Amino acid sequence: MPVVNIINIKKQFQDQEVIKGMDFQLSERKCIALLGANGAGKTTTLKMLAGLVKPDSGSIVFEGAEKADFRRLIGYLPQFPVFYEWMTGNEFLEYAGQLAGLPKSEAKDRAKELLELTGIAEAKNRRIGKYSGGMKQRLGIAQAIIHRPKLVMLDEPVSALDPFGRREVLELMDKLKKESAILFSTHILNDAEEICDEILFLHNGELVESGTLTGLRTKHQQAKIDLAFKENTLQYAEELSLLQPVSSMKLDGEYASFFVEDIEYARELFLTEIMQRNLPLVKFEISRTRLEDVFMKVVQK
Amino acid sequence: MNQWMTLFKKEMLEMSRNFKWIWVPLTFIMIAVKEPLTLYYMPQIIDSLGGLPEGAVIELPVPSAGEALAASLSQFNTFGVLIIVLITMGTIAGERKSGVAGLILVKPVSYAWFVTAKWASSMILIWISYFLSYFLSWYYVGVLFEFISFMDFLQSFFVNGIWLTLIVTVVILFNTFMKSPGAVGFISIGIIVILSILSSSLPHLLEWSPALLSAYANAFIMGSNLPDELLPSIIVSVIMITLSLLASIAIFKRRELA
Repeated sequence: MPVVNIINIKKQFQDQEVIKGMDFQLSERKCIALLGANGAGKTTTLKMLAGLVKPDSGSIVFEGAEKADFRRLIGYLPQFPVFYEWMTGNEFLEYAGQLAGLPKSEAKDRAKELLELTGIAEAKNRRIGKYSGGMKQRLGIAQAIIHRPKLVMLDEPVSALDPFGRREVLELMDKLKKESAILFSTHILNDAEEICDEILFLHNGELVESGTLTGLRTKHQQAKIDLAFKENTLQYAEELSLLQPVSSMKLDGEYASFFVEDIEYARELFLTEIMQRNLPLVKFEISRTRLEDVFMKVVQK
Repeated sequence: MNQWMTLFKKEMLEMSRNFKWIWVPLTFIMIAVKEPLTLYYMPQIIDSLGGLPEGAVIELPVPSAGEALAASLSQFNTFGVLIIVLITMGTIAGERKSGVAGLILVKPVSYAWFVTAKWASSMILIWISYFLSYFLSWYYVGVLFEFISFMDFLQSFFVNGIWLTLIVTVVILFNTFMKSPGAVGFISIGIIVILSILSSSLPHLLEWSPALLSAYANAFIMGSNLPDELLPSIIVSVIMITLSLLASIAIFKRRELA
């Protein structure tokens, strides 16, 4: 069931077209990554979904928001969250919970629970002004999910964190997936690869590619075989490249990469040849397309 | 209404955390009480400073109690207004500028309640500070000069208070469509100054102007005849306050917050 439908939204700032018409929908309990280079329009897209920026045209329809305020259904963490510095973490969470419509006692319980979950419980009575960047990020996630929204939107949730913080937040997001749909933006492809079900590629304000992780990998699979030998890699590689199905060959440090037409056929041919001549093979890999390759490919189109 | 109370309580807590509940009343008291005191002790002050040559005799007319209290009242309309603008100019604009408004208003928060909770909490701070300081001033005038009837004091208090309320409301209004607290303060003061100058230089054209309320408030404590324009000018002010508040809410709803 879709949580939200986005239909042909466009946005212009001054004379620059930031979002040039975008359609997609988000389903329940899925983790979706919004990928793109800096300036691709990720933040603007999230802000439009959060209602902070109004699209010039097109519509954003939340399921179940015909009668009620759509803001009940969403949680949002901006890229650089700012809080009331004079409040304590606990006070802010209780305040956010009550504003989101929880009764006072429930807001209290949820605040306590989330302070534990995000790992800032020991700082809950400290003023937010004294929090570190990582703690603010966690508090930001906690306030975004306090009312159990259907859709949680996180703008660059891990970019500002150290490796430990990054790992913990990613694990937290993995848990969240069971309760809500998560849409998060990042330019770190590894993070997306790690926890996402689906990916939206943004480039210059357009959705250039989207789909599930495996789907995208298959679609953009390159027929590529990496080979490395104990010695004389260049010489052997050149000899192998004379074999029929190789369309091009590239030396990449210790490796030789072969781009071939039919990967199954090429594998058999190479292996037989190597066995027959007893070449000192140390690595043979049919390359798996990384998200980075897909990214480069769709962005260059 | 629950949510309104949550917003309102947060404002009250913020005002006590950043000590507004201490310094605003204190500043108001200083600027108000200073007037009767200096008027009363002026001869001694001049004496002790030795500013006059030997033999010079200056007869300072002893001001009446009404004049002394009116002097306090006039302080509210200069320094008082300045303080009011300073403490309210960032109440919404500051939160939008810092970005915290973006975090709060993606929650299902009613825009009307957000604005009115801010307005109400500013009103309470200012009315209490204003009452304390004006009351003390009234008391000192009573001790040093003579007591003015408490009813007259109260009436002048309320009439001038309506003008101060309008100022708070106008500052909140500008808060809703500007992002910079400095700009809000500058434009609010500009408008108040222009309105005051126009009203006092063209009183026959603008006799219902809210800016004249402070002049009308004087009439109560000076014991002079109450002007006929008092009631219309109160009505005009109340209408302007209501309209400004409604406009604030309407504008705030339409603003992009990011």
